[in-house]
Amino acid sequence: MRVTLKTRARAKPRIPIEAETIIPQNFLQKNDVRVYEGNKERKLEDIFFITIEGPAVSPDQVEIVLTGDTGVIKRVGEYMNAGRIIVEGDIGMHCGNFMSAGEIIIRGNADSWLGREMRGGLIRCEGNAAHYCGAGYRGEKRGMRGGTLEVLGNAGDFTAEYLCSGEVHIHGNCGDLPGVEMRGGVLTIGGDCTRPCGNMTGGTCRIFGAAHQFLPTFRRNGTEDVEYNGKRCRMAAFRGDVANRGKGTVLVRED
Amino acid sequence: MTDLLVKNAYVIDPLSGIRGEIMDIAIRDGKIVEDTGSGAPVIDAGGCLTFPGGIDSHSHVCGTKVNFGRYMSPEDMRAGRTARKGVMRVTSGYSVPTTFGNSYRYSTMGYTTVLEGAMAPLEARHTHEEFTATPHQDMLANTLFDGNWAIMEAVRDKDVKRAAAIVAWTLDAVKGFAIKLTNPGGTEAWGWGKDVHSVRDEVPYFGVTPAEIIETMIRANELLNLPHSVHIHCNNLGVPGNYQTTLDTIDLAPDLNRNRQSLYLTHVQFHSYGGSTWRDISSKSEDIARAVNSRPQVAIDMGQIMFGRTTTMTADGPMEWKLYMLHHNKWSNHDVELETGSGIIPVYYGRKSLVNCVMWAIGLELALLINDPWQCMLATDNPNGAPFVKYPEIIALLMSSRYRDIERSAIDPRTEHYVPLFAIDRELDWYDIAVMTRAAQAKALGIERIGKGHLAEGAEADIAIYPLKPDELDPAADYQQVMAGFAKTRYTIKRGRVVARNGEVVVEGANSTIWSRADVPPEYDLNRDAEFVKKFEQYYTVRMRNYPVQDIYLPRGYFISTEASL
Repeated sequence: MRVTLKTRARAKPRIPIEAETIIPQNFLQKNDVRVYEGNKERKLEDIFFITIEGPAVSPDQVEIVLTGDTGVIKRVGEYMNAGRIIVEGDIGMHCGNFMSAGEIIIRGNADSWLGREMRGGLIRCEGNAAHYCGAGYRGEKRGMRGGTLEVLGNAGDFTAEYLCSGEVHIHGNCGDLPGVEMRGGVLTIGGDCTRPCGNMTGGTCRIFGAAHQFLPTFRRNGTEDVEYNGKRCRMAAFRGDVANRGKGTVLVRED
Repeated sequence: MTDLLVKNAYVIDPLSGIRGEIMDIAIRDGKIVEDTGSGAPVIDAGGCLTFPGGIDSHSHVCGTKVNFGRYMSPEDMRAGRTARKGVMRVTSGYSVPTTFGNSYRYSTMGYTTVLEGAMAPLEARHTHEEFTATPHQDMLANTLFDGNWAIMEAVRDKDVKRAAAIVAWTLDAVKGFAIKLTNPGGTEAWGWGKDVHSVRDEVPYFGVTPAEIIETMIRANELLNLPHSVHIHCNNLGVPGNYQTTLDTIDLAPDLNRNRQSLYLTHVQFHSYGGSTWRDISSKSEDIARAVNSRPQVAIDMGQIMFGRTTTMTADGPMEWKLYMLHHNKWSNHDVELETGSGIIPVYYGRKSLVNCVMWAIGLELALLINDPWQCMLATDNPNGAPFVKYPEIIALLMSSRYRDIERSAIDPRTEHYVPLFAIDRELDWYDIAVMTRAAQAKALGIERIGKGHLAEGAEADIAIYPLKPDELDPAADYQQVMAGFAKTRYTIKRGRVVARNGEVVVEGANSTIWSRADVPPEYDLNRDAEFVKKFEQYYTVRMRNYPVQDIYLPRGYFISTEASL
């Protein structure tokens, strides 16, 4: 089944839409799906032109395609556990929160909190992601717990904060403080970043660009060779964060 | 004039001696009356279980530490979110919800009166502001006196009358309801980085012992004829082997009042541990229950824990520090100058943890082993043991040994070697539950005299009608229905108005705050006591004239007046 949601023109197009109901399992039957526009509850058809093609017997077979002015739609794919969502443009905040399985593909940019506390599945963002990409929620001890999050562009500050398990891969640069409070999993940064991995206690962070303002609380631990994008890279290995008796590994490209 | 007639109600009203009768209840102007005029609106209860409105005698829902629990647990706020609906505001939070969340959830469970377990006198304004924003329940505030310097000096001088005068002045100033002692002496010792470990340990500097504080306060309380007794959270909370301290505390209680207990021990589950370390912790509920059974002058509440996530908050600073050393998660510690302290940490009680399973069993054992339900009230020390929304589950566990057996298979299998719970086959009945959730509370708090907790003529028309038909239901087998029924009333009536219907709140509500005022002779009026005034101005960072809570903080304040026998 393929559900295409194309945004309608709205009188006030900047008012965000809270759409945690847009997940494949909700489209399996003809449910009354509602979303919030600001603080007003709306029927899905008031916001989108809906086209449904083909049948589906399980949520795995449902594919949702979002097109139009999608940058203001928040919480798409929250708690999703099967199926596929394709966003043709940008997507708003909190896309793929807590998702446990399935796939989200974003052709444009993603706003903050992409894949926050993800538990499984795959998110692939072909543009840039804003702050807190793959991070934990405020106050929670453990952040992302599984799955794969890939960003082909750059990411903002606090990428993969509280990462606990799973994989985060940023092909471009990261902002400030990626991988802080990490306790497991793998964070790969293709480009540059500043102050990575403060207070980390476990997991591995690999940085293939420059790590600016590298924290002094990491202990040098020899070198390692890693293959990245078909090239062999010599990496300086660090152990830390010593200030937190951490046992994490940070690898930064040397050559 | 507003009338309401509730017809065909299956009423259990323990304070009036009604043990399940089909009857009609007539209401006029918020009070129960003999008969309404014709044409009064009628609610057909259809034979459903009808109790007086529920009373929670120990809960932490308002005040600075509850609010700090909210600050430090943003992750808690994403649970339990409900959207605005009709008169209902947006709510959020699970273990420390917004004040409206608390109020609505209590209302849908049929609770109409709630006592805030601990209010620091200096921070009373905050508590009263949040009371105003808890619109559906009448609120009362226990006032902390455990580390009060003036009280400690009076105890050192063995001057009960002066202690009574200080209590009277403070309750009047901060609009408090009763005396709360949290880890007496221990919170003051914590200011010096220490704690007390038995009722005979000395508090640093003051040289008094917890036993002296407790004894003096019980006598001071009775001198003032306050409606409630001293409300105590014993020393050594949560320490393996602490049951001995609890027994020593129970031994300190004289029988001074014919109408109610002389000492109310709260969340006793946390105080009934045997063993010496977390590895050999065991249940000593039988010893505690024996002590309570033989002493009518004490009453307790269970302090049941339920599995899941919650937040602990107490004025017992040192105890929270010990918990922090176990969990190494977030921790807050707070000192209230000259008065008390507090601490907050989030916790998770797991079925896989043997210690948590033993704790879970102890709470239930206390309720089942104490013969007289009037002496053991149902509470979780919300949110320390569990958020109050778990009460229906606890009721079901107490009413059905089959449900307890099902839970037994889900918890750590070693538990049964440490607790007697699974050998107890007592099942409570509807009457016991009515006692443990409202009548006993009304009696223990001394508010039956203002018409709380019963449905006799002239009482406040606080009524909870649950969708349960006692004639058709076997609680031992249909525990799921019992749970669902107690979670959502058909009608909750507060002062003659339906406030919640089938789980939905239908009016905005306007509560009152109940406080006590003891009239003391002029020679015991501390406003005229030069020494007290001098010390107050010297020690406190606030002026004495700015200390009392202004009336504007209690838009619907109501006080119980007593004549002190000084």
